[in-house]
Amino acid sequence: MNLCIDSDCCTGCGACVEHCPGHVLSMGSENRPCEKYPDDCWYCGVCAIECPAECITVIFPYLIR
Amino acid sequence: MARSDFIYTDFLIVGGGAAGCMAAVRARELEPEIDVVILEKAEISRSGAAGRGMDALNNVVVPGIATVADYVEAVEIVADGVFEPTISRVIGERSFGILQRLEAWGLHFPRNDRGNYIVNQFHPKGRFLVEMRGELKKILAAQAIGCGARIFNRHPVLELVKQDERIAGAIALNLDCGELKTFVAPAVLLAAGGAARIGLPSTGYLHGTFDCPWCNGEAHKLGYEAGASLTGFEYTASSSMTRDFNGPGLSTFIRHGAWLINGLGERFMERYDAERLERAPSGIRMQAMREEINAGRGPVAFSFSHLPVKTIQLIEDGIFEAERPTMRDYFQRKGIDLKQQPVEVVASEVYLCGGHGLAGLVGDGWGETGVPGLFAAGDCLANPYGFLPGAMAMGEATAERIVDRSPARPAFGDAAPRLARLRASVEGHRRGALGVAVRDFEYKFRRLVNEYVAPPKSARKLQRFLDETEAMTREQDDLPAADAHGLMKVFEAKAGLFCARMAARASLFRTESRFGLYHERVDYPLQDDQNWKTRVLISRGPDGPILTRENP
Repeated sequence: MNLCIDSDCCTGCGACVEHCPGHVLSMGSENRPCEKYPDDCWYCGVCAIECPAECITVIFPYLIR
Repeated sequence: MARSDFIYTDFLIVGGGAAGCMAAVRARELEPEIDVVILEKAEISRSGAAGRGMDALNNVVVPGIATVADYVEAVEIVADGVFEPTISRVIGERSFGILQRLEAWGLHFPRNDRGNYIVNQFHPKGRFLVEMRGELKKILAAQAIGCGARIFNRHPVLELVKQDERIAGAIALNLDCGELKTFVAPAVLLAAGGAARIGLPSTGYLHGTFDCPWCNGEAHKLGYEAGASLTGFEYTASSSMTRDFNGPGLSTFIRHGAWLINGLGERFMERYDAERLERAPSGIRMQAMREEINAGRGPVAFSFSHLPVKTIQLIEDGIFEAERPTMRDYFQRKGIDLKQQPVEVVASEVYLCGGHGLAGLVGDGWGETGVPGLFAAGDCLANPYGFLPGAMAMGEATAERIVDRSPARPAFGDAAPRLARLRASVEGHRRGALGVAVRDFEYKFRRLVNEYVAPPKSARKLQRFLDETEAMTREQDDLPAADAHGLMKVFEAKAGLFCARMAARASLFRTESRFGLYHERVDYPLQDDQNWKTRVLISRGPDGPILTRENP
């Protein structure tokens, strides 16, 4: 996985899903975002920037770490 | 098929990036009654190559610092004389107005101690690069929405529609429901970006590209299939990028005076271009990097230790705040401190881009492609090194032309048969008879690009690529797609393969070496200005692509 989403502070607002330019994220179970298409992540960080609760950390795809 | 099945508009924009947003705003500004639709593949507030942000406008003719003639001359140098100057002149003329417009919209352009814009040199000659801060794309998107354009997010375009020889609209895929939707319009602007996923990055990570990976040559393929010409595809660009992270920072580092050093600590550009050093045309810079690495003097890095702390802070502010905050995280993870250590750089993968190179659809000073009703702007247009101001300037110009012409809305042209063919194609992908994942398909042709199309080039290698990928052009129609997202990925892969094959054909056609590393032919090692100081054009013929010299 390329992102760490803190489920304790995520409010499920969906801003990260809406703004991700690569459609990487999707709303999963219990109204929480999940990485549906992790291979398409450009680690641009838009999800983290748009998260009003600041609960997303980009940890980068393994191949570029 | 009833007319109610379609969505009608006056001006259809394919791609809601910088060019598309500016085109929408300009059109509605000039003609409040015009109906404008933007079809955006992602969500407009963060889409396109500038979606996360930019720390500068790379090419602005600031009065008192440079002239339009200076700018056109600078582009001629980076294009090695192979360019058509009209578009560069248009960009030069409009660029300062673009800056003023952005400033009025809330973008911040920091000033120096004398209260002037901070303008630095990145081009081999002349100062055109203006420091910028702020959320560029959010502001552009807000303006596009605010002007009353109708935005369809999550709608990648799969086909253009024609009526006789005119363009008549486009068919898009609704990613939310998987349905195809037809838009009918007398004027269509292709503004869907460059082609990023052509070569394979050294990491092997398919989306770890220098340029925006979600723009993969779809506009080039759509335009070509509709009858527009392509040019500059032998300009297989790559850039010196931070190892593994693969961008951004190049123009930031160079404009603020960073040095390229080799593993011995030598400022090696002195050996290759003693006058222009790091500001040499990028193909020469990349050739020098390759020579140093091949000679065993690597790794190659950008060094900052000679710069004042204030300058390094400006660099960090630009790349970490305005452009890509994740780069700060990446540097921290790797323990890189610009004040202490050099930043290792490697050659990025090969890409095709009008804004960062020469490749794109051929257009005139208004972005007209020659196909009635079809325009192009931004990275999919051959607007040599037009960068971000080029995208916005040509978006403006296109809108002015369309409003001036105010063409009547067409009937729905050949939409019905195209839609039927597309539905059959989609069905084929749902069956997925090839049984090969699209990521493997993409990996394969991009690995072959690295081996056979990336420089150094030769006729033998280029022909080998075309032979090796011939079967893939048939297999691609049976690639599996489980859902709408998968279908979008299939069409991206098809566009990427199309562009890669066009790059091979154009590289084969130009029998000389030019553009430094980018078109280095080992079988034609010399530059031949007498025969080849002209653009290579690719147009669609009855039996396949036709390649010609613009001025034989």
